[in-house]
Amino acid sequence: MEQIALALFTCLILAIVSKSLSLPPIPFYIIAGVLLGNSGLKIISPNEVFHFFSQLGLIFLLFYIGLELKPERIMSRGSAFMTSGLIDLNVNMLIGFFAALALGFSYYEAFVVASAFYISSSAMVIASLIENKKLILPESETVVWLMIFEDIALVFLIFIISTEMQHPFVLILKVIAVVCLLFAIVKFVKRALLKILQRDDELPVILTFSAVLSAAFISSYLGIPEVLTVIALGSALSTTNPRAFERISRPFKDVFLILFFFFFGISIDFSGNLFLMQALIISFIAIISKLLSGFLVGRTLHRSYPAGIEIGADTIGRGEFSIAIAAIYGSEIVSATVTVMVILTSIVGSFMAKYSSKIKVSLIKYI
Amino acid sequence: MSIRSIELPGIGTKYELETEKGDKIAIVFMDSGRIQLYILEKGGETPTAAELNAWETRRIGSIMTGAIIEAEREVVEIAFSALSDLRISIHTYIISKNLAGKSIGELAIRRRTGVTIIAVSRKGKNVVNPPPLFSFEEGDVVVAIGEHDQIKTFESEILGA
Repeated sequence: MEQIALALFTCLILAIVSKSLSLPPIPFYIIAGVLLGNSGLKIISPNEVFHFFSQLGLIFLLFYIGLELKPERIMSRGSAFMTSGLIDLNVNMLIGFFAALALGFSYYEAFVVASAFYISSSAMVIASLIENKKLILPESETVVWLMIFEDIALVFLIFIISTEMQHPFVLILKVIAVVCLLFAIVKFVKRALLKILQRDDELPVILTFSAVLSAAFISSYLGIPEVLTVIALGSALSTTNPRAFERISRPFKDVFLILFFFFFGISIDFSGNLFLMQALIISFIAIISKLLSGFLVGRTLHRSYPAGIEIGADTIGRGEFSIAIAAIYGSEIVSATVTVMVILTSIVGSFMAKYSSKIKVSLIKYI
Repeated sequence: MSIRSIELPGIGTKYELETEKGDKIAIVFMDSGRIQLYILEKGGETPTAAELNAWETRRIGSIMTGAIIEAEREVVEIAFSALSDLRISIHTYIISKNLAGKSIGELAIRRRTGVTIIAVSRKGKNVVNPPPLFSFEEGDVVVAIGEHDQIKTFESEILGA
């Protein structure tokens, strides 16, 4: 109890500090965990309860992401959505994968690192677009939809990573069955769900919480990644009243997700000597790689170099998803590397996004 | 001129229009309830933007549709933080037939109610600080200033008369 209270209070103070500096709070939560945990002062140690809460944070984050993935909304996107998404995916996955291989990671580890390397932080990107008042720019639309593409790509990446542990054919059958089942159930009980959501007593909250927990339980029972089931549940429920579900699940997401980052920070082991150099190199390449993919997207979609620089600068920050991938699938050294990458890219990214117009002016001379 | 509405998942909805002169205006309704208003001048590189709450947005909207002149009753209440309990209301009213032809002095507005008429708008022309001899016509929009209770008295004594 006192450990969680201490963790949340530390994070509260850091959140106030980070917001006043207009920096993304996620790296601060992780650093707080590192400082108070195994690699630091050892005041807080990972325990069962803490682990459970941090799991809840991850599950609610993914549920929340799923709610934004309305199937018909995505189907109706044109080729620009696919083009920009695929450029972003290919450039960053390839660079991330080969960079990780070259630095001595195994194939499996390199794929995990590349996935964490590819996926930008939707939370940071969107907060920075709003904060820096860029929503009028056509590039900001591209960036926002790029984040949606990345969320979908995340589902596939997690699927691929999970096939390491079981036969892909069995896994795909199970996943398809569960997804179809979820969508069918939601379709069948849609009217009852909408009725419950309109109530102003505790029922909507109980419904949301139990649905999300059950989805997570079913997946561990069937041996498919929780991530996939919970995102699918969110996506299925987005056909009912996603705004209501967002409103209800947001407090759970906000509190538990902070504990998730903090817990991740506690559990990291920074004892390896070699890793720091590797992590710095990966972080540096991660920044260059997003600038490159953004540049290519801007050139292809907006036919303009400054637009490309804008998109690149806006998408540098890695965050919640990279940590999630590392937390679920990463070995100790992968987790430590991803942590350094998240901290560096998110801070550099927030400055790049803030001063993107100045960067555009000074870079454009060299093109 | 056409308005495009664009969905921004995770943010809200953006409405965008290009004016006749080529300036670009965008209004973003965010899921959080806040609103961002952008203006990008023709040929300009960096937009200017303001963030508004729902109330401010409604006010600007009503100003832009000209509602200030047409609205029968528009209210602004000002509270001075340094002066305790001083709350001043500014109201607009439309003069009806029964007050037409009467002057401000004849109605003795200030003596009877404490309210001061600070401006009159007649057919698009404004008279600020009208003299006591100023006489109303039907359809004039008057701007009255006073404390809440004085405004209430004004409504019943003068307008209701």
